[in-house]
Amino acid sequence: MKKMLPPFIIRAVIAVFIISLNAAITGTFTVFRNVSFLVAGTAHAALAGAALAIVLEEFGFNMPILVGGIIFAVFAAVIASYASGRGKVGKQEDTNTAIAISFALSMSLAVLFISMVREYAARVWGLLIGDLFLLSYSDLKAMLIATLFVIFVTILFYRVFLYISFDVEAAIASGIKVDIYDYLLLSTIAISVVVIMGGVGAILVFAMFVAPSAIATRFSNSISRVFLLSFLISFASGLLGIALSFILPFSPGAIAGVVVSSTYFISAFVKR
Amino acid sequence: MEEEVIKIRELCCTYNTHIALEKVNLDVKKGEFIAVMGPNGGGKTTLLRAIAGMIKPLKGYVKVKGNISYMPQRENINFRIPVKVKDVVMMSIISKTKKFSIVSKIKNEEINSVYWALKVVDMDDYMNKPFTELSGGQQQRVLLARAIATNPDILLLDEPFNGVDLPTQEKIIKILKDLSKKGTTIITVVHNVSPLIHYISRIALLNKKLVAYGKPEEVLTPENTTKVYGIPIPTSVCEEGYIHPLFGDIHG
Ligand SMILES: Nc1ncnc2c1ncn2[C@@H]1O[C@H](COP(=O)(O)OP(=O)(O)OP(=O)(O)O)[C@@H](O)[C@H]1O
Ligand SMILES: [Mg+2]
Repeated sequence: MKKMLPPFIIRAVIAVFIISLNAAITGTFTVFRNVSFLVAGTAHAALAGAALAIVLEEFGFNMPILVGGIIFAVFAAVIASYASGRGKVGKQEDTNTAIAISFALSMSLAVLFISMVREYAARVWGLLIGDLFLLSYSDLKAMLIATLFVIFVTILFYRVFLYISFDVEAAIASGIKVDIYDYLLLSTIAISVVVIMGGVGAILVFAMFVAPSAIATRFSNSISRVFLLSFLISFASGLLGIALSFILPFSPGAIAGVVVSSTYFISAFVKR
Repeated sequence: MEEEVIKIRELCCTYNTHIALEKVNLDVKKGEFIAVMGPNGGGKTTLLRAIAGMIKPLKGYVKVKGNISYMPQRENINFRIPVKVKDVVMMSIISKTKKFSIVSKIKNEEINSVYWALKVVDMDDYMNKPFTELSGGQQQRVLLARAIATNPDILLLDEPFNGVDLPTQEKIIKILKDLSKKGTTIITVVHNVSPLIHYISRIALLNKKLVAYGKPEEVLTPENTTKVYGIPIPTSVCEEGYIHPLFGDIHG
């Protein structure tokens, strides 16, 4: 008789598949658009949103924590893009500086809000903590919806996202509203980060959203190859994480994170 | 009467508090071939951006008749993205047709414009190569192809010879000469105008203000070049009677 895998493992594998799709699409544009720091920053901004959702709950206004997180993350991404003048002509301020400051602001707000809801603080931090083996079907559903959204936006705007990533100056000159598309792209990245993080936790998101595409970019001479390689690298590390977690006393997410991050550094040596 | 396709009046442009252009007045007639010269930071790029409508003037105005294509300085490009040569050229067409979605079909004639433009710059053999793996001069030619693929009335070029070897420079000059003959209005920023001097109609000498604008021999006087570069640029007159600035001697 065929032995069935326990459902929690099947859910974990599905999650790894979903994460890898995001790593390939969002991750690649994160690297192309030079906003690697956005991923870590978004996670922190989402905390403020989650905390605010709980504060509002006290006043009888119900909003899911995830939605609060998304709103704040998108807002923080947009003001970071605006402040660094990424959609404008000429020398731009370092975007990662603007992102860092914008997310420092949301972190401070998060601390303020959390101090207002002290007894619920664990729920806020819960947004950052997740485990591949503790996923529920509703987590998976949220992740899947967010991923479909990311795929949809990318299909609709793929060429313009690529153009503004490749040559902002020429894109502006040819009449493209670069600032608007930059907001859209960064918001899409932010949504993808928050939702996936809500499911599998921050560490796996940090690891999977930048490293695979950064590695893939090093070894690719076409864009489709970057997408494919990023997907394969993150899917393989995720599966390896799951498999090794049965032998080693660590969580699959942490193992996958170690695998994929070390691969990045090893690939730096190989490429030299 | 030749018509004016670009009309600039009392143009002032600033970046934050920094004044980049001051009271610039400049007219360009259809089919003219203009060289813009001036020191680093003299506002040459800013002038092109203002003509292309990329920055809002603080004062004054720019009026333009016809479609503009702009070939920016190469340093703005993100060299980490392994995009194919033909896709780089296609970018200008896509931004015109607004076919941003990956599923919207590109017409055959649009693909043909890409082939045509790459052929003009003699880069059609490299169509499927990643742009990032080309040499600097080859990249410059591809960017020129991107600029001409939309068949613009006005072509703005920012230092198209930067990092380009002499044979490639000759190639680009020939392309520009042909386009200019066919009626395309060309404005190009150059540091060394010498190789172009036989083909251009006027030189604009820019150092925040428009110091001089006119025929090469009127513009390249010791007074003007001293005003702009701090030292006079020696010139010589070639057999065909054109004035050539001797740039080899000055630097910085
Ligand atoms: N995006 C920007 N933000 C702030 N200042 C700028 C910006 N772009 C240009 N400047 C400043 O405006 C002035 C004119 O710059 P511009 O780029 O037009 O000069 P340029 O003549 O093209 O110089 P180069 O020969 O170096 O290309 C310079 O002092 C420059 O520092
Ligand atoms: Mg310049």
